[in-house]
Amino acid sequence: MGYFKEVSSASWAFCEGLWITLRYLFKPSVTVQYPTEKLVPYERFRGLLLFDAATCIACGLCAKACPSACIALEAQTHPETKKRVPKAEWYSLDLGKCNFCGLCQEACPTKPKSVWHSLDYELAFSTRDDMVRCWKPGFPLAGRVWDPVQKAFRDPESHISVREVQARI
Amino acid sequence: MKTEEPLVSGPGLEMDTMFVNLGPQHPSTHGVLRLGLTLAGEVITKAFPDIGYLHRGTEKLMETRSYHQCVVLTDRWDYCSAMPNNLAFCLAAEKLMAVQAPPRAQALRVITCELNRIASHLIFLGTYGIDIGAFTPFLYAFREREMILDLYEALCGARLTYNYIRLGGVASDVDADWTAKCREFLEFFKPRLDEYDTLLSFNPIFLARTKGIGVIPKETAAAWGLSGPNLRGSGAAYDVRKSEPYCGYETYDFDVPLGETGSCWDRYFCRVQEMRQSVRIVEAALAALPGGDLMAKGIAKLPKPPAGEAYAHVEASRGDLGIFLVSDGGTAPYRLHVRAPCFINLAILQDILVGKKVADVIAVLGSFDIVLGEVDR
Repeated sequence: MGYFKEVSSASWAFCEGLWITLRYLFKPSVTVQYPTEKLVPYERFRGLLLFDAATCIACGLCAKACPSACIALEAQTHPETKKRVPKAEWYSLDLGKCNFCGLCQEACPTKPKSVWHSLDYELAFSTRDDMVRCWKPGFPLAGRVWDPVQKAFRDPESHISVREVQARI
Repeated sequence: MKTEEPLVSGPGLEMDTMFVNLGPQHPSTHGVLRLGLTLAGEVITKAFPDIGYLHRGTEKLMETRSYHQCVVLTDRWDYCSAMPNNLAFCLAAEKLMAVQAPPRAQALRVITCELNRIASHLIFLGTYGIDIGAFTPFLYAFREREMILDLYEALCGARLTYNYIRLGGVASDVDADWTAKCREFLEFFKPRLDEYDTLLSFNPIFLARTKGIGVIPKETAAAWGLSGPNLRGSGAAYDVRKSEPYCGYETYDFDVPLGETGSCWDRYFCRVQEMRQSVRIVEAALAALPGGDLMAKGIAKLPKPPAGEAYAHVEASRGDLGIFLVSDGGTAPYRLHVRAPCFINLAILQDILVGKKVADVIAVLGSFDIVLGEVDR
């Protein structure tokens, strides 16, 4: 008798569960078909770090604010007087170390921000060299990558879709 | 006939024991935990949890970081619910600096922490179902969790490592749009809890796998120092939000759900009921959201708290998370210690797994809801 009771209660629970899933079968799916369908993150989203050499004053506050020491930069010096000029000679970011915490962006005193989190979330690197982005005056906002074999800068291989204007406060 | 003891016993009839490694790459260990099991037939005679595969040394790292930078590292302990981690560290540091967050920031801290508790318990619900063999609730639980993560993304810019609760307040403000979305989510979420009960909580197969399995009596649970839903599942009413309220928890009306016997199912159902209570708290906090500043005055860019020590603890999603912070007056903590609930909850495994069958190991381990990021830190 207990056996039949068990069987009937289990099958009733089975039907109850199926009834819930059946109701969802006729509702629109919530799954995002990722590679073909891409969501745009919210305004505050902290994605890939970008840098703008044109507005940077090479104060180094971002490098001080960074908890993982992934930012390095050097200010230009005047060719004749040898004095420090408020422009970045070079700027580099190690995205392999980056925490995506946003402290560098908050520390940046310029307006608009010289270093900021864009909305890019497709960050995949095929080599470790790709993770280190470098900027020199005239480089694009996404930066370039130093190729140790060719001894030259090249564009990052796997970089997709820089939405540069968005999220730059 | 008791099946929990090897049938073959007595002199000359000793059974060969077998040593089995469960993990560190086993999907049901929820991370990189290794369980060394000694088996006699199908029964466990000895079990030891082996940890340290995810050790990143954050306690030591923090001794070289400024206080603002430490908050970033706290996100990486319990990555399934990072908000209480931020909060515990900030409360300890605020104690040292003798500042208090303004009322609006405190309410936002409560809202975000409780939403995080829901998100974290939803992970537990989904993955525990998978451990036991029910796949469907996982998909539903993650759909709801996704909505909470969306709320977080709109509020603080990240989905997992928020860095939202800062020293002296919170990083960003909510707008009417966000609160409306949050209310919409809560309304959507409440009936979903009943669906989980039908799909999983009261399913006879699930009940058979979890009820009466891994029973921890109240006294044993307290003796091993369990906290959070694992302790409350055994019937001990200890909740930091009630016993030592922080961030104005004393003003919210909520119950502390308790289990009866301390079995796997009690621990599970305790969490399900906690989600209902969290919904209540978030609703109340949203309704009474005070205006005003987000940050307390007088927090320096490079804070140097006066020399001394402070201890602050919060009710994190997995238990009583405590931070002991020692300052020597410098820019970085002199010493920081984390009382991680997962680490302490894990220790009891070596005691209660003995005498269980292999099939029950996953049910017991899953019911503790451990996150290895917090166990190893």
